[in-house]
Amino acid sequence: MKIWKKGLIIALSLIMVIGLAGCGKSTTGEKDKDGSKSGENKSYDKVVYAYATFNNIPTSEVLDTVEEEINKITREKINVEVELLPIAIFDYSSSVSLALQGGEQIDLFQSLGDFNNSVSSDMAYDITDMIDVYAKETKEILGEDILAACVKDGRLYGIPTYKPYALTPMVVYKQEIADELGIDMSQVKSVFDLTDVLRKVKEAYPDMTPLVPVQTGTSGVNMTIPEVDYLTDDYFSPKGVLMGDSMTVVDYYGTEEFAEICRLVRTWYNEGLILKDAATTTSTSTELMSSDNSFCYIASYSYPPEDTAASISAQVGNIPLGAVQIGEAYLDTTSINALTWMVSSTSKVPEAALKFLNLTFTDPDVINLIIYGIEGRDYVMDEEGYVSYPEGQDASSVPYTAQLSCGTLGNFFLMHPMKGTKKESLIWEEEQNKLAKKSPAMGFTFDSSEVKTEYTAVSNVIQQYLPGLLCGSVDPEVVIPEFRSKLSDAGLDAIIAAKQKQLDEWLKNK
Amino acid sequence: MKKVVSKKNRGLTKSGPLLLIALPGIVYLIINNYIPMFGVFLAFKDYSYVKGIFGSDWNGFDNFKYLFRQDALLIVRNTILYNLAFIVIGTVCAILVAILMCELGERFRVKIFQSSLLLPNLLSWVVIGFIGYAFLNADTGFINKTIIRLFGGNEVAWYTTPKPWPFILLLVYLWKNVGYSSIIYMASIAGIDKSIFEAAKIDGAKKIEQIRYITIPMLKPTVVILTLMAVGRIFYSDFGLFYQVPMNSGALYDVTQTIDTYVYHGLMELKDIGMAAAAALYQSVVGFVLVVTANAVVRKIDRENALF
Repeated sequence: MKIWKKGLIIALSLIMVIGLAGCGKSTTGEKDKDGSKSGENKSYDKVVYAYATFNNIPTSEVLDTVEEEINKITREKINVEVELLPIAIFDYSSSVSLALQGGEQIDLFQSLGDFNNSVSSDMAYDITDMIDVYAKETKEILGEDILAACVKDGRLYGIPTYKPYALTPMVVYKQEIADELGIDMSQVKSVFDLTDVLRKVKEAYPDMTPLVPVQTGTSGVNMTIPEVDYLTDDYFSPKGVLMGDSMTVVDYYGTEEFAEICRLVRTWYNEGLILKDAATTTSTSTELMSSDNSFCYIASYSYPPEDTAASISAQVGNIPLGAVQIGEAYLDTTSINALTWMVSSTSKVPEAALKFLNLTFTDPDVINLIIYGIEGRDYVMDEEGYVSYPEGQDASSVPYTAQLSCGTLGNFFLMHPMKGTKKESLIWEEEQNKLAKKSPAMGFTFDSSEVKTEYTAVSNVIQQYLPGLLCGSVDPEVVIPEFRSKLSDAGLDAIIAAKQKQLDEWLKNK
Repeated sequence: MKKVVSKKNRGLTKSGPLLLIALPGIVYLIINNYIPMFGVFLAFKDYSYVKGIFGSDWNGFDNFKYLFRQDALLIVRNTILYNLAFIVIGTVCAILVAILMCELGERFRVKIFQSSLLLPNLLSWVVIGFIGYAFLNADTGFINKTIIRLFGGNEVAWYTTPKPWPFILLLVYLWKNVGYSSIIYMASIAGIDKSIFEAAKIDGAKKIEQIRYITIPMLKPTVVILTLMAVGRIFYSDFGLFYQVPMNSGALYDVTQTIDTYVYHGLMELKDIGMAAAAALYQSVVGFVLVVTANAVVRKIDRENALF
């Protein structure tokens, strides 16, 4: 028994050590809660604006100075004081949902690709009756068509970020290699034209894997299938989709288009034209492009090809890049409501929140303060109105910047352009929004709550098979049939039926 | 009467300091494990942010359905089999290491071996995942480019070949955890009365016999208590091991998917709090039932060693 006790003592002290370590971790997050209670002025409504940032999180003193500048405008214009709450992009969704559950104040937040779920779990405030009063100007800017993407059961639950929506599939490649081998990239009009180019590169550089994946689990080819409406699903986990002008929901994985691109990537894989570990690598496309071992990748961007190439080039150590369009942009509901600003259902000042949201779409001073911070300290502007960082500083060293969030906040077209981009591009982008072909089901959102059980199972099956197929590491002839039968076991048919039913309903009421 | 009181007091003075040592751990358990238990309500509710935990509508066992689908059975099988393998092989290896370590004798050497065995335990799974990646990467990995090339075999696309993965995972698990769990056994061995060994030596027992007839029987209580505790967690899995080490490769899901990763993959898109809570409740209820059963069995066989 004695030994037994000794062992127990040791075990207990181990628990204690582990316990202490655990405690130390969990307290850090609460600090900034007390630090940010400034501006106790009672005559103004306080609005908390939670936004995702891809840049560094500024210190609370710096944040206070930016808030103060914004408040100078908002106090006068709408009688509101604002508290900025930047949250790192990778834990934005979970932080916001935890904060709302825990009763913390957040009045405005963005649905990161999750419009439907935010609405069905009651996170979003119904702003149908308020928008005409408190955000009239925003409504005029966006227009009914765009706002329709945020409507569910006839009620409006949010305002989508106004930005270039249309994603255009492109190939981004290294200019020097193309020139050296005499490849005319402008001849590449579709993803199928790429094979010969990749072969040529491979022939000249046998040790190179010419094509790298755009992100973990996809070579980017899935985005080149034309005219797909994902009906509220994630692009990388489609369940039932619409194709072209047909209003029949189809199984994405059963289409000939899907089989065709899988076969194409399989050829690439077998010939060593694509990274072998494309399905699992966690390296980003920019990292992979920075190495000498790559030539191009396939991705979809909402900027003109030349601008895209220029801005990516800056991120990969200024290797000269080119970009060529290999498909047409297509707009569906998700491409618009993926980034929707919502007033939280727990907000005590929804009117004030909406008024402030309106300013982020209409007041250039407000939105530029949120994006770039304070002029002179955080950025400088030249005579032509282009923004750059103060001398000797960059995005990571200035006290405040949220520049990389520019496509996610308020009205993108009101933001000062960065040096290196062209003002004409903005016109191209706004045109694309209007010209891009729109899905016939534009405005339809699917409510998955009746098929939740099937969704979990199907998501798992998709994650098991899709990356391998999209990166060529498995043989589509064998795997697609197996994949489809597993999907069917997991309940894909029920999801497709539910989608069709809701879509028919929506068409009837349209 | 007086005598009884003083005996009681003596008990308290004896265990008082121990209780004090345990206090931070107990407080931690209350804050982190008991208070959040109110969350079990969520498992039976259709959660709404407006209505809150207690105000949301009940939806019976709907949240549990996805865990009992046909295709979820494989995941349950994986979880249990891996954990059984970890318990059995892990315990055997840990005891082996502990005995070897105690036989080293000289303190300096023990310290060096002990530290190097403990080191992997301090690494995070993400780091270990990348160490594994450095070995198994299809394009530049150490095994494909060096070892296989040396012996002239065919290169293997490790992250899309499921067969070897049960062994890889077991190996990685042992590498990370054996050093740590052997400490407890070492402590138990150190607590064995030296005179027993001396007596055995005089009687002519060899090293192997000493281990066979003294060390291992003396370790039995520790083995039983640790195994019982591990049985309680048989429905859980080390998320890092099953998610980071296989690099979340879809092609391996048949052999790497466990309840925790299945729930994670399934709910990443839905973010349904109720369903997540249902999975946690399911795991802990099964764990609880198993511990109670296992303990009852132990008590039947050997009353002394039972947990309660």
